[in-house]
Amino acid sequence: MAVWVQSLGEGRLRALIVDDSAVMRKVIERALRQAGLELSEVLEASNGEEGLQVLRDNQGGSAPLALILSDINMPVMDGLQFLEARRQENLAQGVPVVMITTEGNETFVLRAIAAGAQGYICKPFTAEQVKVRVLPLLRTAA
Amino acid sequence: MKNVHDEAMTRLDSAVSEVFETMLERSCDPLDGEVDTVEGRIVARIQFTGTVDGECLLYASQATASVTAEALLGTPSEPHDPMVDDAIGELCNMIAGGWKSKLASPDSNCTISTPAVTREGLEGYRTRFGTKFSRNYSFQGNVFGVVLAF
Repeated sequence: MAVWVQSLGEGRLRALIVDDSAVMRKVIERALRQAGLELSEVLEASNGEEGLQVLRDNQGGSAPLALILSDINMPVMDGLQFLEARRQENLAQGVPVVMITTEGNETFVLRAIAAGAQGYICKPFTAEQVKVRVLPLLRTAA
Repeated sequence: MKNVHDEAMTRLDSAVSEVFETMLERSCDPLDGEVDTVEGRIVARIQFTGTVDGECLLYASQATASVTAEALLGTPSEPHDPMVDDAIGELCNMIAGGWKSKLASPDSNCTISTPAVTREGLEGYRTRFGTKFSRNYSFQGNVFGVVLAF
């Protein structure tokens, strides 16, 4: 799998994980690596506002982000507000976004998609579920 | 026909089992017994608002919480590591979310809060909600409790 990811061109990827739980950020990063992603850097944010700041700080860099994963229920700014603000500020618009959340309700799924998410994973999740939902998005974006 | 208590417990058992098997790769089984049999120093709380109004509490001893955090992270934890509290909060979050999703219809409007974690135990715990269920669980000999009130 790692060989295939290298065929995307960059070989190694930078990802942003937005979740108010530091434990969950680590678990998600581990799942991405288990899925075969060779991550050169994982940026972290504990809420949507911090996530926006990471995107602002990374505008126009030589190593653009390849993937954003975000929780929905977070203090300060939730994941749906994060996506809306990202769109309004025109930040990282070509970067695929996958929501990883305990909110499995269809209403939240539809709201996330309307706000710009391309994927949706419900907690609890397996590395295989992350692989199945994330890799096709990277393939499309490459 | 199952009564409300049995339905709630069945869904809770299913949610707990799913979280442990998926995220910790461990089986977790319900125990018979009263909630007082579990030392509850670390307590995580999630609140439901909307179609379902209520709360879910997960409580565990320091030792059980540490083992749980290690299983979730795959790395050792220190006794007062904030990641231990974080792990218990996330566990409660996933169990509450799983229970809610099994209870609510797809178009229902119910949100869950972010987890709040304290180290004050369950002593003096009272809920404002009318119905309360509690259940103990064990994984690899480590016991923790879950309270559902709505």
